[in-house]
Order: sequence, then C-alpha cells, then structure tokens
Amino acid sequence: MNTREVEATLTAADPVDRDRLDQLDLEAMEVELLADLNGEQSDSPFEVEASRHRVEASRRRRPRHLALVLAGGAAVAIAAVIVVLAGGPSKHASRAYGAELVRFAESTPLLLLEGPGWRVEDVYEAPDGPYRPRGSAGEGSMEFVTGKPIPDENIRSTQVGKPEHVKGSTGPVYMKFREQGMLPPSMRQRKVELRWSRRSLASELRYAHEAPHVHGQHWVRLPVLETTADVDTRAETFVSQGGRGNRQMTAYWAEDGYLLELRAAVPDLAAFEERLRWLTKVDSQAWLGAMPPQVVKAADQAATVREMLRGIPLPDSFSPSRVPTAGLTTNRDQVGGAVISTVSCLWFRQWDEARRGGNRTRAGEAEKAMSTYERWPLYRELHRGRRYPAETIPKLVAGMPSGRYEWRPGKWRRILPQVEALGCAREGIPVLPWKQRRQSER
Amino acid sequence: MAQGQIEKGALGRELAQVQFGRLYREQGRAVLAYALRRVDDREDAADVVAETFLVAWRRLAEVPVGAAAQLWLYAVARRVIANLHRSKRRRTRLGGRLAESLRTELATHPVPNGEAAEALRAMAELSEEDRELLLLVAWEGLSPGEAAKVLDISSLAARSRLHRARRRLRAQMEGDKPVTVRSSELDTEEAR
Repeated sequence: MNTREVEATLTAADPVDRDRLDQLDLEAMEVELLADLNGEQSDSPFEVEASRHRVEASRRRRPRHLALVLAGGAAVAIAAVIVVLAGGPSKHASRAYGAELVRFAESTPLLLLEGPGWRVEDVYEAPDGPYRPRGSAGEGSMEFVTGKPIPDENIRSTQVGKPEHVKGSTGPVYMKFREQGMLPPSMRQRKVELRWSRRSLASELRYAHEAPHVHGQHWVRLPVLETTADVDTRAETFVSQGGRGNRQMTAYWAEDGYLLELRAAVPDLAAFEERLRWLTKVDSQAWLGAMPPQVVKAADQAATVREMLRGIPLPDSFSPSRVPTAGLTTNRDQVGGAVISTVSCLWFRQWDEARRGGNRTRAGEAEKAMSTYERWPLYRELHRGRRYPAETIPKLVAGMPSGRYEWRPGKWRRILPQVEALGCAREGIPVLPWKQRRQSER
Repeated sequence: MAQGQIEKGALGRELAQVQFGRLYREQGRAVLAYALRRVDDREDAADVVAETFLVAWRRLAEVPVGAAAQLWLYAVARRVIANLHRSKRRRTRLGGRLAESLRTELATHPVPNGEAAEALRAMAELSEEDRELLLLVAWEGLSPGEAAKVLDISSLAARSRLHRARRRLRAQMEGDKPVTVRSSELDTEEAR
C-alpha cells in the first residue's frame, strides 16, 4: 500500500455522510434553539469585556448551564437569521433594520455590484466634523472584489530618460517613468471601486478631460442603471498599465443628486460594460445585508478605539475623545490610522514643546514611548496589512533624537513637517508651531 | 456624544447580527461535520457547534472574511473539543436540542469496515497532532497550507509533518513494518 492509497482509505473512512449532512435542516434547528433561548440576555460582540465577566462569574456558579448562558449571545443573532429566512426566497435579507442603520445606508447611493461571486469588501464615508476636508460632505466609496482579498498596492514610480520640452510646460519635464510594485492585472481586475460625491458632473468631466492621460484619450458613452455614463477608456495613471488585456477605465454619471464614478482595471471595454451592467440600485435592507464583516469591526467606534489602544503608551494629554469620531466610520483601517496618528501627534507635540522648553525629561519620555511602536498591537496590524501610516512611523521615530530625517542620501530635512503629514492639524493636534498659532486664532 | 455612541453601538450590533447569521448559514454545516468527525457522541457535536459559534459571536470582529472564516472556525472548534475532552462537562439544554435534531436526522452513521476501519484503528495510534493534520486534509479537504492555519503552524512545517504523519499511518496500517519511501514518492509528497 503506497501513501496515496493510505490517504484514499482514510478519506473513505470519513464517518460523516455528506448527503445526509446536506439534508439536515439546520434552519429548523435554529428555530428550536431560538425557542429554547427566547428571553435570554443577549450580548453584543462589542461588549466583550462585560460579557466575559458575566460568563466567567456564571461559569463559577453554574457549570452545568455553561453553554446555555454562553448561547444567550447567539439568540439575537439567530433571531436575525430566522427573520431573514422567513422573508422567503428573496436574494437579499429582508429583515427590518433600525432607523440609525437605515439612515447610514441611505447616506450612500444604495448601489451594489451584483456580478457573480462579487462582494462588498469595504465601505468608506468621508469624515465629518470641523476638520473635514473642504467639499467632502456626502462623499464616500465602496470597494467590490471577487476571490481573495486584494492587498494594497505600493507603487514606486521612477523617472527614466531625459526631461523633455512639452507643450504647456514651463521647462523640461520627465515624460518617461518606470513603475515597480504594481499588482498583476489578474489581481487588479478582481476589484471595482465605486465613488460618490455631491460635486457637479460637468466640472468633474471637465477636470477628467484636462487630466494627463499617459496613453492618450478615448471616451465612449455606455448605459448604466437608468442613465448613460461618460467612460474614460484610457484612464491609466501608470505607464506600465495599458497594454493588451490590461486597461484602466472610469465611468462618470449623475444620479439621485450624486456624482458617481466607477473605476476598474479590466481586460477590455466589454468587461467594463459588464461591470456597469452588474451595478444595481437596491433598498437599504439589501444594502445593509451586503455589508462585509470588517464594516462591523469598526461600526462601533468607541469600542474599537478602546480595543486599538491596548498596549500603546499614552501621553497625559491623551483622551479617547481626541480620536476624531469621523461620523459613522465603517473602515477599521481608517479608525486604526486615526488612533495611531492621534497618539503619535500628541507624543510628537509633547516632544517638540519639551525640546523647545529645555525639558529633557518630557522629551525623553516621548522618545521612549514612541520607540516602543513595534510592540503596539495596532501598529503590527497596520504593518501586516501595509496600511497607512505604518510605514511612516519608523522613519519618524528614527528621526526623533536629532529632529531630522534623511530624505535622500546625504540630504536632511526637519522631522516635524513630516509628522504633520500624519494629519495632526486636521485632527486638531497641530505639531508645527505656526499651525498651533493658526489653530488658536480660529 | 453619549447618544451618538449608543447609536453607533446599536448600529454595530445590528450589523453584527446580520454578519453572524451569514456566517452561520455559510459555515454551520462545515463546523458540524468537523465536530461529528471528532467526538464520540452526536450530542457532544451539537455542543461543539453551539460553543464554536458563540465564540464567533463574541469575537466577530476577529473572524476573517471569505474562505478563511472556515479555517478560523475549525481552529476554534478544535479548542472547544479539547476543552470538552478535558472537562467532560455535562451536556446542556441547548446542546440537547440540537443533539435531538441530529439524532433524528442523522439516524445512523455509516459503520466503517474493512480497510476503512483499519485506517481508523491505525489513526488512533498516532499522536493528536499527526491525527488532526491528516484528518484536516483527508476529511475536511484542506490543503496543507490551510491546515497549517487551523493548527497555527507554518505552511512548511505542515507539509513536512503531513509527510511524516502519512508515513507513520502507513506503517501502522502495515503492522509496524518499516516503511521505505522511494525518492519519487518523496518528490510527489513535497510537491503537493
């Protein structure tokens, strides 16, 4: 008997009869479970701490009912499933959502890409509040993917050849570039980005026509939903994209008061047309039903921030309210970026003020705290996912003792403007003295 | 501010319920199969499913997206089963309900005989680590890389361990006779 035969024998010894398992009515079991659990206390995954204490206390008191008590948390969830199932064969969940959730959904254009195997991967809503970027009200985007999640691209563009004189430029400019780090077309073409804003379609189209096109311009008009979109079929930003079977296209149209843009890397125009055809207007129930798990991760920002702060040394000027709330933030990376930037901005501000005031102790405290960044779970998470600002932090920390960083071999710059690029001023914690003055004048 | 936080909390809970429901529908059967293959009593399998999904509910934010969710759930179920074996705790009402359904719907398990029974007997002689790795590949149909994620080991270690585990299983099935592995066979194993 060879190894392959051994494995085949083992596979044949599987005690579970797949057919019978498939026939098992799990939904009916859910109903039974619900009936059994009706009235039990339900826990949210965002109340883990409290829930854990309750469960542990209960475990000590009543070991015989462990699973029942634990199961309380599932009761509401299972109820949700049952209501969904009771809605009939509808493609989308038809349960009734709360008003707040519906409001959140209805602040978007309620569009889904209903291609076979495609799903919502991420949703982004423009931050709200006093430091919101100008003109970004009502702005947001969704990312749809098929297959495995697609990592972020980290593209490096290098000038090659000699600068040339081109029409409209005031001097010679580089026209040739070499790009590194671009994902292969097979991965890029598994993603579609839908953006929306309240800007005007006419001005957006004017801007798009004037923007540089590395492979020339070619526009067509294609149907989308109930209207027609202007499609930039040569929307490639990078020189190395644009070859056969490797195109970038963007469609622009206006609907329901929104300016909509659908961007996708596609093999050809037919594939782009197909993606436009997949776009479907849905109701808020269906839209919410399509939300991915990572949206849940950040939906409760207060709990998420608390969790993210674990293991990070905090300056005495820190309070959770310092982290910008950014409305209904639905992107965990966005919350993570805000948390790590807020903490870093505060430490750098303490560091700079202490240095200028000759307080070595406080400056040293900030340097020591920031030097532990590699041990922060949040930094590790962002670093693993290659998310901003993980790759910036080490450079900033390395520049702390001298106050400068080497931006090119032998060329040094002040570190504080670089720190400011974390968005410190936008988050209400300017580190540059002149920005602090401007903030106090407001 | 507090009101806003409450609203966001409510939003989180609502979304979490929908996500959890979807996870249960997509992976419930796979977790049940995993449990049924590893516990003696179907009633215990019911408990394992219930507890695994309760862990998932409480740690929903950590559950990965897509196919990786199944591996995550398998890893949780594995720990739940380990605790079950250690504590030998009493079955709960919740598990009882599910178990009752299992009893009626899965009235009989196929009883292995011949080579299959021999394979199971030989499996019992292997270490828990070897056994779990073999089962994840043979019964759950995972690749060595996916099994590595469930067991929280490197993909390279999983391939190497899998090769050794298969040799040990083969040795057990052939009555502890020394097994010689041909180089061509080794190549095939490594290439998988």
